[in-house]
Amino acid sequence: MAFILRRIAFYLVAFLVAAIINFLLPRLMPGNPIDIMFASANVIMPPEAKKALALTFGFVDRPLWEELLIYLRSVFTFDLGVTIRYYPLTVTEVLGRGLLWTLLLVGTSAVLSFCLGSLLGILAAWRRGSAVDSTISPLALAMQSIPAVVVAITTLFIFGVALRWLPVGYAYEPSLDPEFSWEFISSVLTHALMPLFSLMLTSIGGYLITMRNNMIGQLGEDHVVMASAKGLSDRRIRYNYAARNALLPSVTAFALSLGSVMGGSLITEIVFNYPGLGNLLFQGIINRDYPLIQGQLLIMTLTMLTANLIIDFAYVFLDPRLRKA
Amino acid sequence: MRNVLNIILRNRKATIGLAIVLFYVVIAIAAPLITTHDPNKRVARPHQPPSQEHVMGSTRIGRDVYTQAVWGTRTSLIVGFSAGLIVTVIGTLIGVTAGYFGGWIDEVLNFITNIALVIPQLPLLLVLAAFIGKSDPFMIAMIIGLTSWAWGARVTRAQTLTLRRRDFIEASEQIGEPSWRIITVELLPNLLSIIGFNFIGSVIYTIITEATLEFLGLGDPLAVSWGTMLYNAQNSSAITVGAYWEVFVPCLAIAVIGVGLSLLNFGVDEISNPRLRTLGAINRAVKAQKKYDAKFRARSTEAGA
Repeated sequence: MAFILRRIAFYLVAFLVAAIINFLLPRLMPGNPIDIMFASANVIMPPEAKKALALTFGFVDRPLWEELLIYLRSVFTFDLGVTIRYYPLTVTEVLGRGLLWTLLLVGTSAVLSFCLGSLLGILAAWRRGSAVDSTISPLALAMQSIPAVVVAITTLFIFGVALRWLPVGYAYEPSLDPEFSWEFISSVLTHALMPLFSLMLTSIGGYLITMRNNMIGQLGEDHVVMASAKGLSDRRIRYNYAARNALLPSVTAFALSLGSVMGGSLITEIVFNYPGLGNLLFQGIINRDYPLIQGQLLIMTLTMLTANLIIDFAYVFLDPRLRKA
Repeated sequence: MRNVLNIILRNRKATIGLAIVLFYVVIAIAAPLITTHDPNKRVARPHQPPSQEHVMGSTRIGRDVYTQAVWGTRTSLIVGFSAGLIVTVIGTLIGVTAGYFGGWIDEVLNFITNIALVIPQLPLLLVLAAFIGKSDPFMIAMIIGLTSWAWGARVTRAQTLTLRRRDFIEASEQIGEPSWRIITVELLPNLLSIIGFNFIGSVIYTIITEATLEFLGLGDPLAVSWGTMLYNAQNSSAITVGAYWEVFVPCLAIAVIGVGLSLLNFGVDEISNPRLRTLGAINRAVKAQKKYDAKFRARSTEAGA
């Protein structure tokens, strides 16, 4: 319990640091921060909206520490301000729109690549040196170091432009209205296929390699030798004895990838013009919509910290040794 | 140095990786020799497919893709290696200091490292780059270098902690060696493999991240690099009009150097952790070791005789 409380305190401080970075950045840049933040927008905002935004970001003529306190208060009450590009929507409203698509895309790909990658990793470690291992392991290594931009663009070109198998952009056919019909759902599915495929391609290698390396470490351990000496079936040794113990680092990676869900899958969403959170962040960046970018950075930090906290809990649950310590 | 090379050449992954990296280094150095004009000069009609005159075709505004890719190699490698160096120096400094001195110094440094670890990297980079405005490649190298050291610091600290209580360190302390000497002469050589791993990993990360930031339009559009090539290609919808050469050249360049560097890194990892090798490699290593031993024995008997 003390352990968990200490972690929570640590995450609170980390969040505070992120908020302070957010607060200081516009003030450290040369020039008047308010002008930099709001003048670049090509949207005309009424003066009261500008004033409200300035207040949210603590731009009041007071001593710095007082500005900071005002800013922190607005952060902790989830008042992230109004977006410039999507004025008059607030940052939270805009992010809410993208969340569903991102959850669908990133969530599915994270679950699928975790399961598939880990299973393949177990297999590769179990048959170490076999044809399977020496094909998929180097392939996974290679895939892991190819950036998402490259994978996404190549996928788009092959399946979308050259072969014309799949639609090249957006989350569904624009002529359809979102409704619960077979036509709409199948349109969503076909549009998700390419981004999903390229996302999985980039993340599956990492799970495979992590699992393979940990599994190989486990296979040399005494309890696995004992299990085979007892005459247990291969299947049981593989999954209940070796894989179960090798799984922890992969679980961490999985939780962290869910923790980064608020950023969406930046690159993939941009290349396929998918309307998720990553695309929103991109729109924010090219339009210099600072309230949106900064709000998203804060929310991403928050989900990342929550994911870390969940990992801490999960470790205590999954690894009985930690319960005694 | 000779020894390190020998060890690398004995591992196939590391050898292939090293060859790829060297190939890129040669291209980067020889850039003025193997190209004929300024990379930003318009020398062809827009979107020409590869031909004798322009082996990799031309971009939307008539720049030669081959020339841009070659000069881009130089930018990417310089940015990658300098940011890698910054990351490694900061990470090693913090990690070793925290691990060696312990106590409140460790508490403070470890706390800072942990916070830097949990704040998401890419969005922080994006926000920084967005505020700084059009950042040239060297600014990007600085931003990446100054924000990405945490992982290296943690790993280095962990390894320093395990070395800290070994006999040879305690012995040097008892004969009164000053701390700086223990750190540089006793500790650092034993940390070399981790520092190297950290360095290569950071170089990969930087090259990919630089290209990503520039692809998103956060870089200086006039700089010549793989990232700006991708950015320009995306802006001129090169893919949808079928100008695949404009997109695939920088893609391939990034992918291959990424694969090369990580092969080198994993090869080095396998050398220091033999269990990870595929069995074929182990058999080969055993054979090579036997051969090496035999040669060594023959030589020493010669010397003895």
